[in-house]
Amino acid sequence: MNFANLTRRFFNATHQLSRILTFNTIQRTNFVGVRSISTTPFIYNESNINEDVNKKLMEFFDDKKNWNENDVKHGRSWQLPELRIKSNTDLHKLWYILLKERNMLMTMEHEHSREWRWWASPERLDKVKDSMKNVETVVRERNRAYYELETGEDGEVPVVKQTNMLGLVEVRRKREHRIPLALNRKWRENNPGPTNERDMHRFLKLYREKNYMVHRRSKNRARNHVIRLLRRFPDLDRNILKQKYPSVNIDNLGRRDKFRGHYVFKVD
Amino acid sequence: MRITLINQAKKYNILKNIGELSKTYGNFPDSYVKRASEQVYWKTPRAPQYQKRTVEKNNFRFTTNRPWTGQFKMQNMPNMRRKKVFIEPIQNWSFFRGDRVEVLVGKDKGKQGIINQIFQERNWVIVEGLNCHFRSVGKEKDYPGVIIRSEAPLLVTSQVKLVDPTDLLATDIEWRYTEDGERVRVSTRTGRILPIPKAHEETMDYKAKKLYLNREKDTPEDVVTEITFEPKLATFEMDIMEEMKIEENRVPKKTYWY
Repeated sequence: MNFANLTRRFFNATHQLSRILTFNTIQRTNFVGVRSISTTPFIYNESNINEDVNKKLMEFFDDKKNWNENDVKHGRSWQLPELRIKSNTDLHKLWYILLKERNMLMTMEHEHSREWRWWASPERLDKVKDSMKNVETVVRERNRAYYELETGEDGEVPVVKQTNMLGLVEVRRKREHRIPLALNRKWRENNPGPTNERDMHRFLKLYREKNYMVHRRSKNRARNHVIRLLRRFPDLDRNILKQKYPSVNIDNLGRRDKFRGHYVFKVD
Repeated sequence: MRITLINQAKKYNILKNIGELSKTYGNFPDSYVKRASEQVYWKTPRAPQYQKRTVEKNNFRFTTNRPWTGQFKMQNMPNMRRKKVFIEPIQNWSFFRGDRVEVLVGKDKGKQGIINQIFQERNWVIVEGLNCHFRSVGKEKDYPGVIIRSEAPLLVTSQVKLVDPTDLLATDIEWRYTEDGERVRVSTRTGRILPIPKAHEETMDYKAKKLYLNREKDTPEDVVTEITFEPKLATFEMDIMEEMKIEENRVPKKTYWY
């Protein structure tokens, strides 16, 4: 693949930038610390900086011809099957191309919002992010295959399901520590399990009640919606309704007053 | 660190209310459609004392303006409430762009036309040149305005019917499978297949997939389809380190996961 050219340009730019920065710091230390060596202080000047670097820093911005466009035509994101046939090196290079593109798009978005301007085709950012997510997924798949073959584990950060202080079950990713849990008093203090059982049960009772009310309300809403649908469309296929609103007992709806209505409904 | 609670209240998702055909026509990634069309009033900050909750608009009026457009936003201003529209649920959507249909109602009753636009959120189709009305644009005291003819949408459930291509008469259809396992629309009257028109492929970016022009930053097709993957007993990181000739001999200290 011909990504090499692009990545080389990117690395050259960063290299140049680091050279400027180091040059600057050396000058400053000489100026402050070592008096015997006479050096001219570094003054920021257009001519001091290599023109090439300026050009390369402009890679943070979009092509100038796109600046006043209403619409920038572009393709779609990289899909998983397309990435699965690429070598690790290609994926690595593609990642940096995408990263650079994302930086460019985010810079442009920021700059446009700063100047209160319309930014063309903001979905480009979503597409690049989607591609990056897909690259990461493929890399993870490959790594998981290796670890499962070699160690029998998937090599991912382990996930634990545990009950927290409020008695709610939560899922969290484990973290890496230098000392074992038995010695880590601070961590234990910060992550207490269910301690005060009386308060916890009282909280859980209220929490369950709240969840139940939400659930009941949504069920009622669905039932009323189905009733009103059937009033408007009497010949509606009941099987579709059963599929779409599984919580509603459609066969028993005819008994309700709401279904009958207090007047003859005008069907339009 | 973000903790996900198992018993979380269901969040409203506008994507569920946007039709599949509208999404494919827009040719946008789902994340963009969601971000452009949703209206979040308040979101809990990312901090341990907050649970993940949002307050957002959950009743939208879908119209002939696509959900990701500014016009849609104008018609669904924050805290604006409009009368609920009841939409008949449909099992299988069978009207596509480019289909010939017969209009069953209105002043163009009995006429046939081609489907131009589809609004799945409202069970609507727009038939080219039929069911029109006139409206004036830019009307002022001393200026009569410009009169524009625009098509009104028609309901697919009761106001239009597909046309059988063999005898050009309106017909009911059924979805069936061919011997090859392909899912097709079949006219119940004549038993002929109604092929899905090519205009169905059309999106906002191109008329047909083949007609799409490669842009400056697009990867050429031969590069995309090239197979460079070679299976190897190594992780991604090991492979890249070998490629770049990076040697790592340090032995990591024992760590604990909890």
